[in-house]
Formats: sequence, structure tokens, C-alpha cells
Amino acid sequence: MFIDIGCSQKKKYNQNAYGDYFISKRYKDTGRVIAILSDGLGSGIKANILASMTATMLLKFIEAQSDIRVACETIMNSLPVCKVRKISYSTFSAIDCDEDGNAKIVEEGNPQFLWIKNNEIQEPEYKVITSKTFTNRHMHLYKINLEKGDRIIFCSDGVTQAALGTKELHLGLRREGLIEIVLNKLKEEPDISSDDLTRYIVKQVEIIEPDHKLKDDTSVACLYFRDPRRAMVFTGPPYDMEQDNLYATSFYNFNGKKAIAGGTTANLVARELNLEIQPDTNLNVGKLPGISYMKGIDLVTEGILTLTKTAEYLETGVAKDDAAGKLMNFLLDSDEIKFMVGAKLNQAHYNPNLPVEIEIRKNVIKKISNLLEDKYTKKVDVRFV
Amino acid sequence: MKNIEVKICSGTTCFVMGSSFLSELYEIIPQKYGDRVTVKPSLCLGQCSNSDKHSKAPYVKIDEEYISEATIEKVLNILDKKVCGNE
Repeated sequence: MFIDIGCSQKKKYNQNAYGDYFISKRYKDTGRVIAILSDGLGSGIKANILASMTATMLLKFIEAQSDIRVACETIMNSLPVCKVRKISYSTFSAIDCDEDGNAKIVEEGNPQFLWIKNNEIQEPEYKVITSKTFTNRHMHLYKINLEKGDRIIFCSDGVTQAALGTKELHLGLRREGLIEIVLNKLKEEPDISSDDLTRYIVKQVEIIEPDHKLKDDTSVACLYFRDPRRAMVFTGPPYDMEQDNLYATSFYNFNGKKAIAGGTTANLVARELNLEIQPDTNLNVGKLPGISYMKGIDLVTEGILTLTKTAEYLETGVAKDDAAGKLMNFLLDSDEIKFMVGAKLNQAHYNPNLPVEIEIRKNVIKKISNLLEDKYTKKVDVRFV
Repeated sequence: MKNIEVKICSGTTCFVMGSSFLSELYEIIPQKYGDRVTVKPSLCLGQCSNSDKHSKAPYVKIDEEYISEATIEKVLNILDKKVCGNE
């Protein structure tokens, strides 16, 4: 199973910093995923510092400890108390799970998470652990087994208390309201990605708030257990020309989505497999060459310029609707991405007249794969041929 | 009358060496020559790595002939002559 992680946040109205913090880490070798959502007391910069400190420390603790319970208990026992409000500085929800579906979840102060199986809410049993140092602090410990199709949704109290005090929802949205929003959306779009679902929920919360002004920081995080969406990118001609046919065939027979980044590579695949290439004139805008079409291949772009631009888009998160934007969407719509990188040098790129933007393919691929792994929590495999 | 085919290379080398500026030809050529000339982009024509010491990109292919260091004027001049010759 693949764990699709998504989080969406909106700041409290008129604040310039987020008071909630979400962090997640995927461990490629073991298939383990740790994710934490923390809500800092108050709002703005102060809350931001409290929440980010709690979440990052907790991540490190869980990572180091074999037991999430010990890690969370340590944090719960040591969180300082706010002098004004006499409550702890931050609340948190943490999950430590793996791709086999084993999950341990701890909550301290945050609203109870949702576990959705077959579009129904599950009510798992939990153990209450009371802090030894602060008796008003309790954490809930869950041990559950997740199956394919299951979703876990965490949220900050900005969601459950949305529209609090209004005529229509004087007790706020509450857990029931959130469940209704989520289940209705899942009926409409059963396979919706975690990113899209969390964005949708936050949008709904904003809509029900009077004047659409959020009264508290609003965060939703989702973990969706499903089959991975596989993709392969073939870029650059292979070192050994005699193997061209072998690589072209193995690329074409790959079970998943396929993209080619490179004119020479596209020509090679077309030649070896007797396919036709049709360049598209419409997208030849701005500073990038356009895309082309080939039967059986989802996306064909130019190579190094497009890849360099894609790396830039992935870094900033903002993309134009050009060939690199299309390649970025192709990558982000996949979970497991294989890069087949040809190691043959393109002699024409080593011309001193050429602008310096022409980078070495290996470096650009390395940059893209690091970004996909670290920033977008994808599983990436790079193979040089 | 035979149709003339123009292919503008949009391979990396040609693109950075100026073929992006040739994209105006996609508008100019149909306006000027109607259906006597077809123009379309092409993936790497393979000329950049064949050339001797210095690359002469960008390349444009008009029928079977490769035009090196192509500019809009250069391409239009050749087309003018070809179209006249064809008539």
C-alpha cells in the first residue's frame, strides 16, 4: 500500500503567521510514515513557534524511540504551561504507521481524528494516559490496523469550532459537521487525493464562517492508504546505443504513466518502436519548447531546459501552464516515480556559445528527485542507463 | 504544384540559440504563402551535433535542405525564391 499524505492550512483572519504546524516524514527503506499536527496556543508568530517546536521535536522523538507512546508522554509531561491561560502551550496529534497498515496514533488536546473505512466512520477504542506532572493533561493512544482505501483525517480545533456562536451553528461545526462534509465529498469523489480533500475541507470551513473570516488557524491533514500511482520518466539517450531498443521497449511496456523528457530520447523511442511524433505548436510559448504527442505515451517534452524549469517550479510550488508545468503535474499526480536517465553526453550541449542554463542532466535529475522526496513525499527511484 | 515543407527545430540547442524567436513563422508563413507552404515544429533534427567546430544552430529544414543559423528573414528569402521557382 502507498500512504498518500496531504495537508491544507489557512491562517486566522488578519494574522501573518500560521499557528498550526504539520510535519511528516516518509522512510523509504522501511515504508514507515510519521506525521504530526500541532496547534500552538493563541495565534500568530507566538503560536507558530510553539506549534512548530512541538511538532518537530515530537517527530525527532518518535523517530528515535521505538514507541510513540514514550515519545508523546515525554512531550506531554514537559510542555510548559501558559501563565495567562494555565493550559499547556500546544496540543498535538501524531501518527506512526507503515505501509502494511499498522498504525499507532496519539492525541493530546486536538479534536479526535476521523478514521474512514468504506465511507463509514470507525470508532476505535483507545487508552487514556494521564500526565504524571500535570494531572489535567491526558493523551489518547490508539492502536489500529488500516486497510486499502482507509483514510485518517486530523484537524485543528479551528475546524470543529468553525462558525461558533453563529445562528446556524451556535456550537460550531463540531465533529459531526466535519464528518458530513467529508463523507459527502467522498461519495462524490471516492478516489480524491489527500491534497484535494484537505483543500476542499478547509475551503468549506472558510465558507461557513461569517464573512468568510477564519476565527482560528485552520488545518486539516489526511493520510490515504491506497495502491500507488506509478510513473516513469525516460530522459536522455542510453550510453550503449546497441541497447536502445531494449530500453525503449522496457519503457513502453512499463505498467503506469509514461513521460519522455528529451527530443533525442523521443526520436529514439519513435525510431525503435516505429511510432510517430507530432509536435504541438500551441504550447511553444515563453522560454520553453512545446510538448509533442506520441501514441501510448502520456507526455513528451524537450529535455534539459524543461527539466531545469520543472525543478524551479517544484521548488517554488508555482507553475505556469507550459511544458514544465505539465511535467510537474505529471510528477505530482504520481506516488512512485522511476527516472530512467540516459548517460550519453550530448556533444552539442558542450558548445561554449550556448547559454549557461544548459546544466548537466544528472544534476538536474538529482535536484528534482530530492525535491520530490523531501518536499512532496514521493517515492523516487533513479536509474542511469 | 508541390507543397513546400518547413520544419523548425525546437531541440534544446536550437531553442536556446534562437529558434524560439522563429515561432513567429508559424503565423507569417500561412499568411504569406497560404497552403503552398506548410510549417511545423520538429524535435531535434540532429544537425547540432553533426556540425564541425562551431554549432550553427538554430536549424530549419526546408524540404530536404537544412538552413543553418536560421533567421526569419533568411527563411522567408529562401521561401520566396522557392515559391517563385515552383510557379
